[in-house]
Amino acid sequence: MSQKIILIVEDEKDIRKNLKKILEMEGYLVEQAENGKEALAILHSSTSLPAMIILDLMMPVMDGFEFRDQQEKIPKIATIPIAIMTADDHIDEKKMRIRAAAAMKKPASIQTILDTVKRIAG
Amino acid sequence: MNTPRSNESPPHDGQQLQPTAGKSVVQNERIFRLLVDAVDEYAIFALDAEGNILTWNQGAHRLKGYSAEEVIGTHFSRFYTKVDIDRRHPQHELEIAIEKGKYEEEGWRVRKDGTTFWANVVITALRDETGKLQGFGKVTRDLTARRNAELRLRESEERFRLMVESVQDYAIFMLDPKGHITTWNLGAERNKGYSASEIIGKHFSIFYPEKDQIAEKPKWELEEAIKNGRFEDEGFRVRKDGETFWANVIITPVFTKNRDLLGFAKVTRNLTERKLAEEALREANADLEKKVDLRTKELSASKARAEAAVKSRDEFFSMASHELKTPLSALMMQSQLREFKISRGDFSDFKHDQLAELCADDMRQIQRLVDLIDRMLDVSRLSIGQFELDVEIADLAEIVKDVVRRLTPTLGASGNQILLSAPESLVAQLDRLRIEQVVSNLLTNAGKYAPGKPVSVSVQAEGQMAKIFIRDQGGGISKDKQEIIFEPFERLKERGGVGGLGLGLYITKKIVAAHGGSIRVESSDQSGSTFVVELPLASKKVVGNS
Repeated sequence: MSQKIILIVEDEKDIRKNLKKILEMEGYLVEQAENGKEALAILHSSTSLPAMIILDLMMPVMDGFEFRDQQEKIPKIATIPIAIMTADDHIDEKKMRIRAAAAMKKPASIQTILDTVKRIAG
Repeated sequence: MNTPRSNESPPHDGQQLQPTAGKSVVQNERIFRLLVDAVDEYAIFALDAEGNILTWNQGAHRLKGYSAEEVIGTHFSRFYTKVDIDRRHPQHELEIAIEKGKYEEEGWRVRKDGTTFWANVVITALRDETGKLQGFGKVTRDLTARRNAELRLRESEERFRLMVESVQDYAIFMLDPKGHITTWNLGAERNKGYSASEIIGKHFSIFYPEKDQIAEKPKWELEEAIKNGRFEDEGFRVRKDGETFWANVIITPVFTKNRDLLGFAKVTRNLTERKLAEEALREANADLEKKVDLRTKELSASKARAEAAVKSRDEFFSMASHELKTPLSALMMQSQLREFKISRGDFSDFKHDQLAELCADDMRQIQRLVDLIDRMLDVSRLSIGQFELDVEIADLAEIVKDVVRRLTPTLGASGNQILLSAPESLVAQLDRLRIEQVVSNLLTNAGKYAPGKPVSVSVQAEGQMAKIFIRDQGGGISKDKQEIIFEPFERLKERGGVGGLGLGLYITKKIVAAHGGSIRVESSDQSGSTFVVELPLASKKVVGNS
């Protein structure tokens, strides 16, 4: 079985860096984007699609909500599940609104992150 | 209906009465007898010269209860009360009748059943042609009923008078047809100040203000009362002490049964208190309404301000907590990761040449937190007025060069090259740390909002002012936004930035203003923005300690 790919969409470099390390340690392949626009570009050009997307909500250029709207319009990538990660309140509301498979509140523990990824991406 | 007579024959049935003129004396007498006998309202009977009863009639029977047989021949004093008998009153009456020809009185008489009645009695001495006393004629009338009625009337009048007299709140009194006061009551005394003895007999126009008297208003009011059956008015009246009061007055004419004017009834009510109370109430109400209005407006304004402040604060808090969580999340993840690796015995990241970088990673996030918290403190201090400058003599050129030096790596990382143009030195009075903050903030903004493009910084002196120009080549700022960017919590989405609390420019402006200087942005097209800071060389603010 080939390695599962996880796409991280997050504008904070350090958080991205750390997430990447954590996931790679668990044996996942990690792709990263700084904002929604970049994420769409990566998905458009990749041959193998990620098993899930970890999505930050507050990003410049294109935020998480906009990205999700765009993602659902493109059949090729529409079905990729997302887990949102955000420091905001009303996380459950947002989870429902954006139709996420999971929601993680910043700062999330490593265990939480790994459990969530395991559950959704396998 | 049989009343026996002493020596006459009674008329037999069928015999008609004839007119008397021209008839015989006997026939006339018979008619008179019939006449007397028929009267049953009056006791009419004759006494002899000693006072014994000679005749009787129906009226006497009715009045005194005795039949003719029972009384004829007896003395008339039997009809008198014991008291009268004891004092020889009957005889006295006869004596007077003899002397004067007639005696009249009202007094108590006694019936057969012992009850007394009030009678009007007339005793007439009867003399023949020679003047010799033949006896007496007695006419008695029962006045009991009338007397009772009179008594009741007097009683009721008395009650009424007492009632009127004792009414305190209304002046109720009577005038004669010309307007002179004939009665008085307590209410009148209270209202107008005069006692009964002082006022009775005087004309009622005395209560009117002079101008009314001159205009003959009182007289006119009486005339109106007669014309319309009553007269009502509200106006000023004058008390005994000269004070005026507002009165409601009703004048009613009083007529006798014959439609003769007996006089007028006047009822006066003092409305002053009521009027004053009404006025006071009205004023109080109006006042209250005004106050309520004002207070409502104040409260609305306060409420709006408070709501705005709370909203601001809530937004601030939510943004602040969001901002704080970002570096904290990074720190946390960093730490957890290291723990994770250590727990798995993986020390590959902890070689000594990597340790420096680990520390730098931590410090970066920690510094971000510190900066953030410092800004929040600044804003808080600004809002409660604790913002103070620590002014000293410093070299502005040196400060700017320092900041540029410090930020070159950071801006370099986002592709911003810094082009600096500054004199050798530029001495001014300022708060070194705060000005550093200003320059740093503006530079960081330029880098954030115009990544990849050069940023130019220039410092120069112009007369009494020092000027700092920081120019970026970002998207520019539209005219309508140029004012609001200096307000707290304002961040420009167009500039692409979302991070930060939006406080930087707000604080920057406050610092500059505290120095007595100014800051503005120039951005005409979309080719970028230039922030211009002007500072007085000599501080216009408090000279601090060096």
